[in-house]
Amino acid sequence: MAISRQAFAQKEEECPESKKLRCPIFTPCDGEAKAMSKRVAIVGIGQTKHEGSKPRQIYDEVVFEATKRALEDVGLDRGDIDTVVVSGWDVNDGRTISDMYVAPASGGYFKDSSKTAEEGIFALAYAYLRIASGLFDTALVTGHGHAESPFELISNKVFDPFFVRPLGISSITTLALQANAYVNKYGITEEQAARVVVKNRGNGVNNPYAHLRREVSQRGALNSKVVSLPLRALDCPPQSVGAVALVLASEDVIKKIAVSKNIAWVTGIGWATHTYHMDAADLTHVSALEKAAEVAYKMAGVRDPIKEIDVAEVHDITSYHELMAYEALGIAKPGQGGKVIDSGATDIGGELPVNPSGGVLCTNLHSGSGLLRAAEAALQVMGRAEKRQVPGVKRALAHGISAPAGAIAASHAVIVLEKE
Amino acid sequence: MNTEELIEVQERWNIPYRHSAGRFASRFLIALRDEKKVYGVRCPRCKRVLVPPRPFCERCFVQCTEWVGVSDKGTLEGFTISYQAYVGLPTPPYASGLIKLDGADTALMHFVGGVDLSDPQKAKKAVKIGMRVEAVWKEERLGHILDIEHFRPVQK
Repeated sequence: MAISRQAFAQKEEECPESKKLRCPIFTPCDGEAKAMSKRVAIVGIGQTKHEGSKPRQIYDEVVFEATKRALEDVGLDRGDIDTVVVSGWDVNDGRTISDMYVAPASGGYFKDSSKTAEEGIFALAYAYLRIASGLFDTALVTGHGHAESPFELISNKVFDPFFVRPLGISSITTLALQANAYVNKYGITEEQAARVVVKNRGNGVNNPYAHLRREVSQRGALNSKVVSLPLRALDCPPQSVGAVALVLASEDVIKKIAVSKNIAWVTGIGWATHTYHMDAADLTHVSALEKAAEVAYKMAGVRDPIKEIDVAEVHDITSYHELMAYEALGIAKPGQGGKVIDSGATDIGGELPVNPSGGVLCTNLHSGSGLLRAAEAALQVMGRAEKRQVPGVKRALAHGISAPAGAIAASHAVIVLEKE
Repeated sequence: MNTEELIEVQERWNIPYRHSAGRFASRFLIALRDEKKVYGVRCPRCKRVLVPPRPFCERCFVQCTEWVGVSDKGTLEGFTISYQAYVGLPTPPYASGLIKLDGADTALMHFVGGVDLSDPQKAKKAVKIGMRVEAVWKEERLGHILDIEHFRPVQK
């Protein structure tokens, strides 16, 4: 179901020239490459408590804390790590070369280390490639959130200084424009968006690491202040300080280290970037996420995501965007995201629980929220998600967005994780 | 010594930049100033008229050279109305819209005005996707995107 409509959805984005070679977007492990590449798994996870501020810890100590926990989780030392990939949006952090601080805090001293100026889930993707290539056996990946700067003002500087920046456009306005176009096309109601808020905030109560751990009522969500139509305050995430770190390893190394209970195999991975110009985009569907899912599903052999995936952690940058993600991921048919939330299918105990951790609506590490989705999905596969554990998870999905400009030029990544 | 006394440093970045508009954006902005007219470019391959104009079509990956004048009236393809104040951003309420001008194939981002935005519920009914809008030009124009003050609903 998902595959056929993705082919249709991508049409408008395709270059007329691509008809000759038919390789519109990077496909990591297809055909022959798949046979040659090494299997990769997440084997260690560390995260800090996420909060609105951490005045007792200097910037990089937060990343150090998460990294230490990830290494302890798998029983390895900094010396056992071959390559380090860090992530982040420097201007948001107030350090224009943030890896000066974040790389040492991620165990990068005197090692192969690099930074992607993207959301952390892309650091995971690059580390995956490094191990799959056979050049490295272990990798440490970190993502972090820093909340001591005006995010919307910095987001405004993403836009060109002639046509868009003077109009005050920022992440929240593009997300609102997109949500409004989606509402207008499909008749999604405010109540359906509020149901997402109630679900995720309710789930966050079970997550000891979450920033916001207080339930909200449907009425509370619907009565919260309008931020940017149709988004109300509770439809939007907080800004959180915290960090998450993952240890990745090749199959060869996993055989040598005793981590049997701690393995989440990466069986599917895909990513794609939306158009850089908002002016010609169809805002009513998230085509880059559709493409990323198509690639990841093909690699993992997923045909019917609702039946074949046991739990999903999606990047709910707003409540409306969780509904749009259902559609892009093939959990809902086009325009049916609202019906799916109404059905309870994505609640804990539903057919495909989404965001048992509370999602981004509870914890928003700008530039680390996607990597946190991968960490939470891995915990679910390992059966170690404690009070937020969904019973019997064999296959989990994680979705992350790298998008300081909001809906524009948004890069989406989808990762499928599995038990042995 | 009180070890729980914590230091916080306040800082503000004020970094001067020069941004060359290049010949495409320059011509567009100068036409706003001198002609009260909006120009785009036509992609030689897909034939779309791109507004604002740009040196190349990102889809076809070919150079654009043909200038095309478009209307200052168009259709509102998307919008939001913002009520939350953010540091360094416009004072709310303000409406942001994507406007497809008649003769263009892409939408221009701009403010939507001429509507009472003070109450979100009333404003939501006054501004509609698909509504016809027209440019409101400033008297004193500087070669800037805000030489158009905003787009307002077409007066019937």
